[in-house]
Amino acid sequence: MTALARNEALIGAIPILGLLLGWQAAVSAGVAPSALLPSPVAVFGRVAQNLGDPDFLGHTAVTLYRLFVGFLIALAIGVPLGLAGATNRIAGAALKPLVRVLAPVPKIALYPALILSLGFDDASKIVLVTADALFPILLATFQGAAMVEPKLVWSARAAGTSPAGTLLKVILPATLPSILTGSRIALVVACIVVFLAEMITSTDGLGYLLVRAARNFQTVDMFVPLIAISAIGLLLNGALALTRKKLLVGFPEED
Amino acid sequence: MIAISGVTKTFQRRGGGTHLAIDSIDLQVAEGEFVSILGPSGCGKSTLLYIVGGFVPPSRGSITVSGRPVTGPGPDRGPVFQEFALFPWKTVLGNVAYGLREAGMRKREAERQAEALIARVGLKGYESFYPKELSGGMKQRVAIARTLAYNPAILLMDEPFGALDAHTRVRLQNELLELWERDRKTVLFVTHAVDEAVFLSDRVVVMSRQPGRIKAIVDIDLPRPRHRDELLLQSRYQHLVIELERMIEDPPEEIRP
Ligand SMILES: Nc1ncnc2c1ncn2[C@@H]1O[C@H](COP(=O)(O)OP(=O)(O)OP(=O)(O)O)[C@@H](O)[C@H]1O
Ligand SMILES: [Mg+2]
Repeated sequence: MTALARNEALIGAIPILGLLLGWQAAVSAGVAPSALLPSPVAVFGRVAQNLGDPDFLGHTAVTLYRLFVGFLIALAIGVPLGLAGATNRIAGAALKPLVRVLAPVPKIALYPALILSLGFDDASKIVLVTADALFPILLATFQGAAMVEPKLVWSARAAGTSPAGTLLKVILPATLPSILTGSRIALVVACIVVFLAEMITSTDGLGYLLVRAARNFQTVDMFVPLIAISAIGLLLNGALALTRKKLLVGFPEED
Repeated sequence: MIAISGVTKTFQRRGGGTHLAIDSIDLQVAEGEFVSILGPSGCGKSTLLYIVGGFVPPSRGSITVSGRPVTGPGPDRGPVFQEFALFPWKTVLGNVAYGLREAGMRKREAERQAEALIARVGLKGYESFYPKELSGGMKQRVAIARTLAYNPAILLMDEPFGALDAHTRVRLQNELLELWERDRKTVLFVTHAVDEAVFLSDRVVVMSRQPGRIKAIVDIDLPRPRHRDELLLQSRYQHLVIELERMIEDPPEEIRP
């Protein structure tokens, strides 16, 4: 890490610390009875305890599983569709109106229908994550692929690459920065929606832990899943940034 | 070698109009000949080159290369663009080896040949660099090596030195001429720099604008091999430069669309 990057990380930590201090101040000032609003010290203490608790770790694993599978399916559908839509006129003409109609639909509204058709288990939640993560990936891929410099494709065609071959050898690598940007948004959305789905109906997962704690008035435990999902989001974002660095060595830097 | 006959290109414009970019171009380029296309900005030089490359279809007319009609790009015609168009995700070695790998060559052998070519364009030691780590002149050297790698019979160069500073431009002109003296490929070279066209070419095709038409074809009867320092002193060279400059400066026939 350069000195500049270290300083930036420090500056970034200040507002988060401020938030925690504000929280603690609100508790100390007695804004709400501590039975309703526990102190951050109590919450983080419980988080630390839970890290050794197989039950809690099991629920976290369930959430992570749904998140990852849903996200990967979205990637597997969104990238090929986006590439096809941007490079093939017929596919583009067929795809664009559909995407415009479906993208603004709040996917969580589909959840009751998904439960009825797929049941309460993983499948309905995974499909919901996929539905929500799909559009950021699809749209970013589409836009990125449409903007690939034609001369890159021409250079490959002249070197003997077939039209279909340029899709994998030129368009896909040239679109990678956009795909990763779309994935970053999709991962955040996926964290939100998997949690919501688990809150609505579930017998496991972090969202379920929150609802269970709320029903039993265990306010400290209510905050633990929230901290967990935000930590997951942070870690995933970091992992993606690393992937980006690895995959995009030759591309201009961006943040 | 290249026969361009009656090539016309009209672009559809937004809102239904059409724009006649080049009109009825006829041109023959012999094997091993170095021909430059010279003309003001917007006269359709790039468009013509892209059509010969098979990247853009003509609206009318036809192109044949060694008697075979052009229907798309092919490794017999290697392009070099002003914008370099290197693959940013590949290293210098990866870029230069690309065409060899596409031709089915084993990785080891392709890399060995690519290394030799990289040395030939003066970039030995830069094999593992990415394009973004290179200067403009170095990028264009890589682009030229990438194209030379698959050994096209014809080079299609679209203002390859247009984005470079004057010093680098002269160096690369000299290097290109040296390369060309060695293997005498057929070259179609687009430029709007008169001195560059005269220095390099056997013939210069002067184009006029709106629509792009061939205005004149000038034979450059200067002996080869040419050396810049000697050439600049020759009155024949100076005459040719002045003659061509007058031709381009002439106000274009104003046929506004
Ligand atoms: N894809 C396109 N769509 C519409 N018009 C185009 C397109 N490409 C080129 N033109 C038009 O065709 C004409 C010739 O363009 P071209 O790029 O071939 O000119 P040029 O001689 O290469 O110019 P320059 O020296 O600036 O590169 C211009 O008037 C341009 O506006
Ligand atoms: Mg041009």
